[in-house]
Amino acid sequence: MTNQIPRVEDIETYAQDIVDTVREPLLMLDITLRVRSANRAFYETFQVTAQETENQLIYELGNGQWDIPALRTLLQDIIGTSSVFNDFELEHTFPVIGRRVMLLNARKLRPGSHAELLVLAMEDVTQRRRAEEEVAKATKASETANRTKSLFLANMSHELRTPLNAILGYSEMLREQSVRRNLQEFGDDIEKIHAAGKHLLALINDILDLSKIEAGKMELFLESFDVSGMIEEVASTIHPIVEKEGNTLHIERAADLGVMHADQIKVRQALYNLLSNAAKFTHQGNITLKAGRELMDGSEWIVFRITDTGIGLSSGQIVKLFQAFTQADASTTRKFGGTGLGLALTRRFCQIMGGDVTVQSVLDEGSIFTIKLPAIVRETNLDAATAAVTALAALTSAEDGNGDAKESSPSGNCVLVIDDDPTQRDLIHRFLVREGFRVRSASSGEEGLRLARQLRPIAITLDVMMPGMDGWSVLMALKDDMHLRDIPVIMLTMVDDPKRGFTLGAADYATKPVNHARLAQILRKYSCPAPPCPILLVEDDPAARGTMRRILEKEGWNVTEAENGRVALECIERERPRVILLDLMMPEMDGFEFAARMRRRPEWRLIPIVVVTAHDLSAEERHRLNGYVETIIQKAGDSHEALLTQVRDLLNDCAPPRALPLPETAELHLPLT
Amino acid sequence: MNHPPPPVPKILLVEDNEMNRDMLSRRLADRGYLVVLAMDGQSGVDMTKSLLPDLVLMDMSLPVLDGWEATRRLKADAVTQGIPVIALTAHAMSSDREKALEAGCDDYDTKPVEMPRLMEKIETLLRKAGKEVPSPTETAL
Repeated sequence: MTNQIPRVEDIETYAQDIVDTVREPLLMLDITLRVRSANRAFYETFQVTAQETENQLIYELGNGQWDIPALRTLLQDIIGTSSVFNDFELEHTFPVIGRRVMLLNARKLRPGSHAELLVLAMEDVTQRRRAEEEVAKATKASETANRTKSLFLANMSHELRTPLNAILGYSEMLREQSVRRNLQEFGDDIEKIHAAGKHLLALINDILDLSKIEAGKMELFLESFDVSGMIEEVASTIHPIVEKEGNTLHIERAADLGVMHADQIKVRQALYNLLSNAAKFTHQGNITLKAGRELMDGSEWIVFRITDTGIGLSSGQIVKLFQAFTQADASTTRKFGGTGLGLALTRRFCQIMGGDVTVQSVLDEGSIFTIKLPAIVRETNLDAATAAVTALAALTSAEDGNGDAKESSPSGNCVLVIDDDPTQRDLIHRFLVREGFRVRSASSGEEGLRLARQLRPIAITLDVMMPGMDGWSVLMALKDDMHLRDIPVIMLTMVDDPKRGFTLGAADYATKPVNHARLAQILRKYSCPAPPCPILLVEDDPAARGTMRRILEKEGWNVTEAENGRVALECIERERPRVILLDLMMPEMDGFEFAARMRRRPEWRLIPIVVVTAHDLSAEERHRLNGYVETIIQKAGDSHEALLTQVRDLLNDCAPPRALPLPETAELHLPLT
Repeated sequence: MNHPPPPVPKILLVEDNEMNRDMLSRRLADRGYLVVLAMDGQSGVDMTKSLLPDLVLMDMSLPVLDGWEATRRLKADAVTQGIPVIALTAHAMSSDREKALEAGCDDYDTKPVEMPRLMEKIETLLRKAGKEVPSPTETAL
């Protein structure tokens, strides 16, 4: 018995038993896709019998209801080439059981004693998918609910504020009247109504701010401002509160306090909150505000230290200090007033700007609150510290470099900003001023050209999309004017969304046919330290490429050619050129997409691009280009900060002091093509 | 007694909220100003043209024509462009402030108004325009 060779029937029974044990429905098919057998799970799942299934072609099962083109293709692929497929998800209406989601796996069995067979395994994942859909739906619903909540809070606080303003206004009027008519006893009561109303208003404002922070909806309005000036404003507002308790306010400002880039309103509010706290908890004592610039972990911070000689805090109180609605002591609110939200808000304000508030205190002796904020707050404060370091390093070097020069040459050394949008203009303006440039701005192309002729700026930033004369027209006019054509121009554009801006960074522009002298003149600006230097020529016309190459080689450049933007990108990958000559209209990837992609690589974005294009861009072409810029913006919007940093770097790179003016008269006209 | 009474400055208040209109107009009247009222931007523009007030206080969110557009129209008209306009905005957002100044407003203030602050702005603009400013002693009851 034991050594007997197993009979074929036994093996098949054995195999069938195993197959029947599997909980997934299985179908065994031959290579004509006819069902040889199925397992128990198959019959149970699809509620069919063996008679209805065996020896049927798979696509004839259930009166053709199993005729699923996708499945048939997959199975035929297995027979032909692939021999296996995994996890194909199929949603289909099956006979009897209805619509189901099945996860399919199939494999061709190794040839052996049996004819060639396929095994198709089907896992019913309908419930799992439905559950996942439910989860997605629930997540979406909760997100919607959260948004609705935020909206509700915002509306609610507006609705609450309107009647409250009436209460405040009328009680104020009654108070004025009571003073005039000498009705002191009414005056006191009216004063209480007014004070309660003001407290309620403060609470509503604080709750709204807190809920905005919780919902991640608190937006930062970053601007550059003079720290010293802001302190003065806060000090004058806080003065009456400080004097009320007979306190004296001392202000100590470091000499290098300068300018910080942050949300001014929030910084001011944080300072105000801490100072009014200090004043509230100190009686006939001293309150000192010290402000300074400190270098910590390699980056610059603005530090405000508020010291008082007040009641101080126990260590137990300190722990609870920054939590919403918990003043150090429940009785404090009654005794000292305040919303109990001030410190929590102050801390969150500082945190969303990448800083923090800390406290040291000794009971009955006084407290020291310290606000630390990055000198340059970034919109994305994830890597706030590192970003601030680079920006500051560049800033200090720019100041060291041309600080004196800008004082001694009042008319020269200025950058002209041409942009029709006042907000963007102002943003770039302020940024460049902070970077140590003198800046003039123009709100239209026409005005820009006029100012350019009058001021001869060292560089121009030019908005692409402007009503009337657009950026391209301005660029052409600039490059047509022999007195202006050497001024580097940075093309940039921004859309309303403050997070989206884009620079094409065109450093120069030449029209075709390019003459030898003009090209040589342009290239002299990007002089090569050790010739021959690599230059990349991106141009689709082979004839034009040939002529340009000869000129360039004569000028001592090592030329690499690319017939479109895509090839050009590959070339830069291999060898970084010193300058790029770029045609705009090319097949496959045109000049604009190329420039856009290049500018996205930080290590490439300072390579000067000289745009070489047909003499005049028609209105239609300009329109196309504008549309193109818009699509680029939609694809990859740079953040404001990234954009501004890029503008600064381009400016520093392409606008060196114009110590050696180039001869403008020695022009020879040697047509290229 | 021999002097003719000084001319009373005329302020046009454009505000759609009834209570705000009532409060502000009475408080200005208390301080010796003649106050004329408009309830939407369009009538604000029309009344400025016909009455030529010494100053306009303009709410920004107004029906028919908003305060920004109304101001733009006043500043585009040779007859009215010299009349100072103070924008009143509900939110202390810096973008609102910039929008108001961009529209041509000479100054702005936020609501709820603080009378001393607003009065200072009104008086500064009137003086700059060479107009008489009522002195507080004359108006105190």
